[in-house]
Amino acid sequence: MNAFLAPNDYKSPLKPIWCPGCGDYGVLQALYRALSAVGRPPHEIAFISGIGCSSRIPGYTTAYGFNTLHGRALPIAQGVKLANPDLLVIVAGGDGDGFSIGGGHVPHVIRRNVDLTYLVMDNQVYGLTKGQLSPTSPRGLKTVTSPMGSLEQPINPLLTVLAYGAGFVAQATPADMPGMTALIEEAIRYPGFSFVNIQSPCITFGEEDQQLKAHKARMKPLASLGHDPANQLAALDLARAYGTELYTGVFYRNPSPPPTYDALVRQRQVELQKGEPRSRSRVLDGYLKA
Amino acid sequence: MTPVTGIDFERITLRDALDLAVLIEEEARDRYEEFADQLAAHDTPEVADFFSRMARIEERHRTELLERRRTLFGSAPSAVDRRALFDVEAPGYEAARAFMGVRQALETVLAAEVKAHTFFSEALPRVKDPELKVLFQELREEEVHHQALVKAELARCSEKPDDSEAYADDPNAQ
Amino acid sequence: MIEDLVVGLAGSGGDGVVSAGESLLAAASSQGFYAMMTKSFGSQIRGGESSCRVRLSTRKVLNPGGVLDVAVALNWEDFRRFGAELPIGPGTVLIHEAKAGPPPADLAPSGRMPREVIGVPLAELAKASAGTDRAKTTIVLGVLSGWFGVPQEALDRGLQKKFAQKGEGLLEANRKALARGISFAAEHPLAAPRALARPEASAPKLLCDGNEMCASAAIFSGCEFFGGYPITPSTEVMQILSRELPRYGGVVLQAEDEISGVGATVGASFAGKKSMTATSGPGMSLKTEMLGLASIAELPLVLLNVQRGGPSTGMPTKPEQADLFQAAFSAHGDVLRPVLAPSSVEDTFRLTVEAFNLAEKYQTPVVILSDQEIAQRKETVDPIDVSRFEVLERLRPTSEQLTGGYQRFAETPSGVSPLSHPGMQGGNYLAAGIEHDVKGAPTASGATHAAMNTKRFRKLAPLQERSDLFERQGPPDAPIALVSWGSSAGVAREAFALARARRLPVKLLIPSLLYPVAEPVYRAFFASVRAGLVLELSHQGQLYRVLRMFVDVPPGVTSFARSGAQPFRADELLERLEQQAEALR
Repeated sequence: MNAFLAPNDYKSPLKPIWCPGCGDYGVLQALYRALSAVGRPPHEIAFISGIGCSSRIPGYTTAYGFNTLHGRALPIAQGVKLANPDLLVIVAGGDGDGFSIGGGHVPHVIRRNVDLTYLVMDNQVYGLTKGQLSPTSPRGLKTVTSPMGSLEQPINPLLTVLAYGAGFVAQATPADMPGMTALIEEAIRYPGFSFVNIQSPCITFGEEDQQLKAHKARMKPLASLGHDPANQLAALDLARAYGTELYTGVFYRNPSPPPTYDALVRQRQVELQKGEPRSRSRVLDGYLKA
Repeated sequence: MTPVTGIDFERITLRDALDLAVLIEEEARDRYEEFADQLAAHDTPEVADFFSRMARIEERHRTELLERRRTLFGSAPSAVDRRALFDVEAPGYEAARAFMGVRQALETVLAAEVKAHTFFSEALPRVKDPELKVLFQELREEEVHHQALVKAELARCSEKPDDSEAYADDPNAQ
Repeated sequence: MIEDLVVGLAGSGGDGVVSAGESLLAAASSQGFYAMMTKSFGSQIRGGESSCRVRLSTRKVLNPGGVLDVAVALNWEDFRRFGAELPIGPGTVLIHEAKAGPPPADLAPSGRMPREVIGVPLAELAKASAGTDRAKTTIVLGVLSGWFGVPQEALDRGLQKKFAQKGEGLLEANRKALARGISFAAEHPLAAPRALARPEASAPKLLCDGNEMCASAAIFSGCEFFGGYPITPSTEVMQILSRELPRYGGVVLQAEDEISGVGATVGASFAGKKSMTATSGPGMSLKTEMLGLASIAELPLVLLNVQRGGPSTGMPTKPEQADLFQAAFSAHGDVLRPVLAPSSVEDTFRLTVEAFNLAEKYQTPVVILSDQEIAQRKETVDPIDVSRFEVLERLRPTSEQLTGGYQRFAETPSGVSPLSHPGMQGGNYLAAGIEHDVKGAPTASGATHAAMNTKRFRKLAPLQERSDLFERQGPPDAPIALVSWGSSAGVAREAFALARARRLPVKLLIPSLLYPVAEPVYRAFFASVRAGLVLELSHQGQLYRVLRMFVDVPPGVTSFARSGAQPFRADELLERLEQQAEALR
């Protein structure tokens, strides 16, 4: 067993450059604490992100980090996990990264059920490129690319991910730090693909009613509504309120998690390697024609 | 939502309470350090210096409490860790702003001290142990004292609203 | 007796000409012949026009051959669709289904029709002997056996393999058809008889195609991860590895798209495993951004690109050598990405091992630029002594480096920095597509960017000296150069041998390393050169143009290039070389 690792043991010397007041600072702090609670040493953690403000987060931890391409954190993370299933693999990115440019990867990582934790810092706007419309921007939102108001229906990350069949789906906000920390920890501990949509406001380009102060007033813990996280249908129903209600907590947690893809792959490797070990030097023998 | 989880104030020991108090100061110190870093990285040096000073003050409080704890209980291991508390005396992340003025920073500190005071006030009725009650009362009074100091500083501060933001460049695309 | 025979068969997919070709190939290789088979199809999944070409020889076969010695047409329409892929000439023995009628007058591209044209009532003979006209390709095998001396027992073994599991009755019926074909040949002797000489007894050979060779070499090299997406004509590599890699403890991920396939490969490499992906043109286009990431994050990765006709969907089942620009230059920013091209099935083993070695040694993506012909042509290969191949591993940090403030991108004289991976204590770092300093911290400093670019280029500088990645033949002072790569190199080799037999002052250069252009190698090679050809199957002549970017190509050296699916013939190349020699006199 590893010695106790404090939250600050996961904090890297690199200083965050997010705007003061950004929700991501809270996410980072909650993550330090969740990681400390889980207790895996930083070198056994691979923290993969895409591109965007929030995707800078791996660099602020002492874990092995990989700040990849816009929208491609999930494919890379799956490669990492399959190459070494012993690693704890966490994926992070923004709403544009996960539900716009990288949206095509989400259903597939979910249907495979690779044991990853996916944290989306959803701020309903493109911050890094200065305030354009994002896939989760509400209809009617005026931005520099929707100056007369958006005509598009936003994607609903919670509903989508639930519909794809994810085994763990939660929503958090940095306005509730203890709640968010507990959710991240629970997501990491869930044996299978887990998703936490974190409503992490953009202080510079976000709407006033999306800021932490507003969250504090609006948020409704699902636990206080008596929601049973084992009830997938109820979860789908509640998830429909994305964009109007700010529910926090676990929407759905599969009460009997199916085996993960990485575990099944490993199991098959073990079965196929029973008996005499194969020599890589004899790989051509099968093509010899007597 | 409570800033402290997993601690039963009816049963908490004096040692654990002291440890908790140390951690509350530690958290506040860390947050002010973070704020100082944030503002230093965003061209707001005066306020960064102010938050650094706040971090040093919180560190002093932490050290004092830690000494007391050592005197009373030596190096006996602590049963409380940082995961048990959130933003007791530390200002919330939403409080920081690029180009914020010293006045805004002072208001942030004041709000945090008020928050801490509320925490101790709310905890006190549940505390049964007399020794502990004394400690909590003392800590609450500390917060009153701090509030007074901050208010005094605010009074010395210009009433003029801060206009740094108005002079700053627009944000940069990355 | 003849020592070399090129047979081409064409029909519709339902005829089973490819299956007949495979039987012929298996029979020949089991008898110790060197043999090679290429397949070519139309665009239907089933039942379109299909053809194959089988070349049998007592000597090593360098290419699928030019003008056919024997052409078999099950019908004229399908045969004609293959055009230059199945060229016939006066010396060709043209065998056709009798009921299709005589050959159309314009069948031969040269206009010179075969002297010997034989209509065989294939369907009729099949029906009479096997009870079904479906067995007509077995009649074809019979007449080929009878006329050209392919041993019956070897063909019989092929029939057993094909039909034994499908029912005893089928095997017996086809044996009768084979015998009937042989007797038909005996009843109708060729006007100019030609029987194939028997090969010398030799050790058993390998029989496989380029994709199988590539997959095998990947396993040999220690590949532990493959991520990909099905795309013709590279898919077989993923299929083979899906079956084989888990047996060696590896993983194959069939991803949801090309980007994810290469993405997972980058991830696995980051996690410390030798990793590979495979694709063809359209997929390569999608993978490009990820290759840039592997370049800047300095992660080893092998990418097989089996070229097909392009652009866009182009011609998925046909060979072309038009992806060199893409392999070398499809990147934003200053990137140097090694590109290797195998020039035969056998060569695919060596260069795949080399690709893994370069990737691991220099921490870079490496492209293997194969093509549809090499990837899918099956050929006999003398056994490969794998013990002569060295397998390299990436430079990993020492325990001292891991405990003393590890720097992932440390400046070193070679430009190669020790590479840690998750799980390695003390090696923690941030990999990124963003420019970074020696520790991996993001930077926007021009000076650091310049230093990192210099480092990333410096580490690949030794490739300039890799003359072992070039095949040179002929007198070093010869004034005529023949340069070729990939599948066209096989034709160049044959034409070169013919030219030398005619005492033409020619020398041959086959680069396996296409990019970076090894300038010293070309400078030395071109020093004596006044004329020559760069032979390649693309409209633009991409190698020729790349060489001119980096090397002073002598003005007399010209590009001999044409679009894909029109393979070169040794005879036409020889003719060109003769013209050049003539001009120099």
